[in-house]
Amino acid sequence: MYKGTNASAGIGIGKVAVVEEKELVIKRETVTDSAAEVERFKGALETSMKQTEELAADLATRVGEKEAEILNGHIMLLSDPMLVAEIENTINNESVNSEYAIENVCNMYADMFASMGDELMQQRATDMRDIKTRMQKVLLGVESVDIASLPEGTVILAKDLTPSMTAGINPANVTGIVTELGGRTSHSAILARALEIPAVVALAGILDAAKNGDTIVVDGSDGTVLVNPEEAVLAEYQAKREAFLKEKKELEQYIGKPSVTKDGVHVELVANIGKPEDVDKVLQYDGEGVGLFRTEFLFMDRTAMPTEEEQFEAYRKVAVALDGKPVIIRTLDIGGDKEIPYMGLEKDENPFLGYRAVRFCLDRKDDVYRPQLRALLRASAFGNIKIMIPLVTCIDEYRAVKALVEDIKKELDEQGIAYNKDIQLGIMVETAAASLIADIFAKEAAFFSIGTNDLTQYTMSVDRGNDKISYLYSTFNPAVLRSIKRIITCAREAGIMVGMCGEAASDPMMIPLLLAFGLNEFSMSPSAILRARKMVTEYSTQELQAVADKAMSFATAAEVENYMREFINQ
Amino acid sequence: MVSEKVVIKNPSGLHLRPAGILCKEAIKFKSSINFHFHNTTANAKSVLSVLGACIKCGNELEFICEGEDEKEALAAMIQIVRDGLGE
Repeated sequence: MYKGTNASAGIGIGKVAVVEEKELVIKRETVTDSAAEVERFKGALETSMKQTEELAADLATRVGEKEAEILNGHIMLLSDPMLVAEIENTINNESVNSEYAIENVCNMYADMFASMGDELMQQRATDMRDIKTRMQKVLLGVESVDIASLPEGTVILAKDLTPSMTAGINPANVTGIVTELGGRTSHSAILARALEIPAVVALAGILDAAKNGDTIVVDGSDGTVLVNPEEAVLAEYQAKREAFLKEKKELEQYIGKPSVTKDGVHVELVANIGKPEDVDKVLQYDGEGVGLFRTEFLFMDRTAMPTEEEQFEAYRKVAVALDGKPVIIRTLDIGGDKEIPYMGLEKDENPFLGYRAVRFCLDRKDDVYRPQLRALLRASAFGNIKIMIPLVTCIDEYRAVKALVEDIKKELDEQGIAYNKDIQLGIMVETAAASLIADIFAKEAAFFSIGTNDLTQYTMSVDRGNDKISYLYSTFNPAVLRSIKRIITCAREAGIMVGMCGEAASDPMMIPLLLAFGLNEFSMSPSAILRARKMVTEYSTQELQAVADKAMSFATAAEVENYMREFINQ
Repeated sequence: MVSEKVVIKNPSGLHLRPAGILCKEAIKFKSSINFHFHNTTANAKSVLSVLGACIKCGNELEFICEGEDEKEALAAMIQIVRDGLGE
């Protein structure tokens, strides 16, 4: 059994076809007639353009305009006057063959883009190498691997797939993709998801482990790959595949349906996101908003603080895309466990109990918190943004942030800059302290969102990363359940919205309890939303009261888990 | 020769898509169209040249057009940048 990165959900079973790009050998040759060589280059350029245009048009009709964008970019690069002129000059001035001139000029640009250290520019480096190979293949008369004509039931195995290779993939014939390189956001992974082909990427060594014609199982949901499995295992995966497809079909029926229980209680099923791009998934799975937008991505992997403007753009983008649906944005939640050199965060002995999140932000108002809150307020003019404060432990912290927000509002008024005057400021309830005084917070905060991952960690005093004590890390511990129930009750008594944005919100064993407790909003990864909606519509909160009472009467997490498992499977 | 300054407001700067839109507009004109930024000059008709200038959000570019339709060219370039280059 091999394990790679799960890049596109589902199970694919089929015969291996290894797709390899032949290594092109580019030699420097001296040409006597440069003018004729330039003509030869121009011919190859024209053919390459035509091929790319055909691929792009085919991909646009089969998959979508967005997926064809990369190839349209290639056409732009191929038709670039500077690129063409430089290749022609190299041929003329050095009296060399076209293949060699293309190699030199394209590599120069690829290296230039690669050295810029920006993710978008890295992609351009890949593009330059891709168009280089395409032109050279035309010149050398090397046929591209014909992915489009692979037989039905094929699983593609490759080192990596270039955009030109993935463009030819026909989902009717290709049942799975496995690559040695790439990641969840690489082009082949994105395309695999768009085409709904199960895929596992970043699986080093798979090309040595499997050969053409082998039977292979690709589980794109958890990253497992099996080569020539036993009959029994194969049958097991075939059953899993059918179950997956059946469930997917079933769940699609819940798109556009309201999230209402049998006894008419409306809840909101919203999404957790980490980047503005994740909004596509939220809309695809019919999320009713965003319950947690983590803003850390804006601050990671860079050398300087993001400007207010940059943050504003990111928040605005999400607010606009959600078109009036609620978007809860959590302010910066970092501490000594993250390496962000420019922040000047020292290594904390106890990062999760240390100088982090709102504690850090309130200490760094001028250069960190103010710009973020200002960006959030400005973006609130473009949609239904709500601000959420992480790691709150006492009311003073909430009041300090509230005062800062009011101060920025005044500043924006003076500058005549638009924002939502009624913007809600709420808290993430994730510490034992906040839970114990939830009644006090509920009088001032506009909403609660229970962060169960941290609430479990802090309530049980258990480091969730430590394997030796992971048995303690369960949200079903009576201590954690009592805490959750209390938070929800306090919010409801005060009449404020209460949501949950930890893993527990999408846990099938937890959903019935949360419905019984009266949770208003469930925030989860976008792909879990439809399954949660199906569950919500199958229950009546009144009938669930007895189940919740029984669950709360147990003394151990194991007893609660067993009871809930039995309940949902009956 | 005519010139005018304009600020780029695309959040990710001039990456492939906005750069392509800029070039498509530029090649409609006969005049030469370049822009200055810091110490570099880029050819607005070449997407590689535009990408190579590594323009980020908030950078101020000075467009310089020269040729028979230079005025129209300059006006068109400034307008398309202000309109956000399709973003």
